[in-house]
Amino acid sequence: MSDHVLELADVDGGYGEVQVLDDLSLHLDENEIVCLIGPNGAGKSTVLKTAFGLLTPWEGNVLYHGREIGGMAPEDIVREGIGFVPQTDNVFGSLTIDENLRMGGVAREEGLEEAIGRLYERFQLLDEKRSAKARTLSGGQRQVLAFARALVMEPDVLLIDEPSAGLAPNTADDVFGHVQAVNELDTAILMVEQNATKGLGISDRGYVLDQGTVRFEGSADGLLEDDEVSKLYLGG
Amino acid sequence: MVLLDHIASGLIFSSIIILGSIGLSLVYSIADFANFAHGDTMTVGAYSSFVTFGAIGGLGGAVLGLPLGFFVALLAGIAVAALVAVITEKVVYEGMDLDSIGMLITSIGIAFIYRAVVQMWFGADAVRYDIQALRPIEWLLPYDVRVTEHDVAIVISAAVLVTGLHVLLQYSDLGRKMRAMADNPDLARVSGIRTDRIKLWTWVIGAGLAGSGGVFLGLFNLLRPRMGFDLLLLIFAAVILGGIGSVYGAMLGAFLIGMIHELTPLLSQLGAVLPYLPDTFGLPIGNQYGSAIAFVIMVIVLLFRPQGIAGEAV
Repeated sequence: MSDHVLELADVDGGYGEVQVLDDLSLHLDENEIVCLIGPNGAGKSTVLKTAFGLLTPWEGNVLYHGREIGGMAPEDIVREGIGFVPQTDNVFGSLTIDENLRMGGVAREEGLEEAIGRLYERFQLLDEKRSAKARTLSGGQRQVLAFARALVMEPDVLLIDEPSAGLAPNTADDVFGHVQAVNELDTAILMVEQNATKGLGISDRGYVLDQGTVRFEGSADGLLEDDEVSKLYLGG
Repeated sequence: MVLLDHIASGLIFSSIIILGSIGLSLVYSIADFANFAHGDTMTVGAYSSFVTFGAIGGLGGAVLGLPLGFFVALLAGIAVAALVAVITEKVVYEGMDLDSIGMLITSIGIAFIYRAVVQMWFGADAVRYDIQALRPIEWLLPYDVRVTEHDVAIVISAAVLVTGLHVLLQYSDLGRKMRAMADNPDLARVSGIRTDRIKLWTWVIGAGLAGSGGVFLGLFNLLRPRMGFDLLLLIFAAVILGGIGSVYGAMLGAFLIGMIHELTPLLSQLGAVLPYLPDTFGLPIGNQYGSAIAFVIMVIVLLFRPQGIAGEAV
């Protein structure tokens, strides 16, 4: 029985016949923030999609609390307790903020109103714009709504794909603050982030991916201080 | 006064097109292809109600000149159209790994199959419901409006169905999920929505409304194996004019297309409806050009607003 909340073990995978992940192994423990960094095409987003059932692993295992979830449908994985915030198109633009949150909680069997109420308390800007269409929100506000939508289920693992993509630096800092706040809700976070320095800056551990496999792993501080990682992947 | 009569006809015809266009738009939004079998789904609904009405008869009382048995037959037409569409989805469409063009072509084949079955069963000649034709409503005759209680029943029934759909889409859990899935199907799955179930419900609702449109089309005119197919291009025009993927846009587009179609004959009587023109003035454009005029106006609107009236700019 694995002690990890989420574990990918010896996973091969990709899109169609194009292999992206090559014997990749990584894990996420309780209440951690783990950041995946690496060059474009390294397979970072593919890891999240494979963990969340959007892609089926060709080989290897995806384990959630030690149970195999590789190949399960995303709508079933949500019910297991894992949430996913995609990089783009991560809110329902034509639905109101309130409706977006309700869609985030479709798999809840009880306590939906209370869960949404708690999120309104935590994210005041959403509370103030409950009836506004999501498409009217700014990029940063959309990202907050995307987090909140994924949190209605109160998952114990949240997968986040490039939360700062396309955001102005100040807004990105706010979003990283929200990531930390979400983590304080006892939610372990596996995050892909192009801005490696910022991503590792709020993380406990990190993995450096290249060509579909893990090249380096360690504590976030250790990776930030590693000369080779810095030279090859952090532009140092 | 002649204008009022054409507006009344436009309302009736629009009501039928609205019922057809909603389903086409819903299925396009969620199944992501233009379903050319949609018109023939209307035909299936019409003939199913025809068979049911023939079997059960009038059942006594009447509402707006229509026997109660007709309304039971209407429900049967809706149910059979929905059932046939769901079976088609499960047996044919669901297992196909084709792009939207491939699905479109497949749906043309399905349309031929529906029509062939109807024609083999009922023949190619037109049939009609065994319901007594009514005289125009008396108190509207002084206004030159010649509509019957049957026509009023069509408009009211369409209004009830459209209102029901609006309530379902806006205020029910299923409706919110349908809108979410139409907006972003991938995110719908990521959120935990069972999208395969929502897709099936979309077929049920879209085909059911199309079936009702077919029943009313049969009441408005006659029942023929080509009745739905002949209306399909106008329904497509309505959906495109309103904005592809927008259910409310489809309703608006259908209303406009239906009105334009029925107001076209006025072009030959412009002198009778416009001031300052000789009474006999008119353009040589009769009602046989109604569809053509509707399409011309659709093209003109799209030139200035490519996303349609209610569609979102891409």
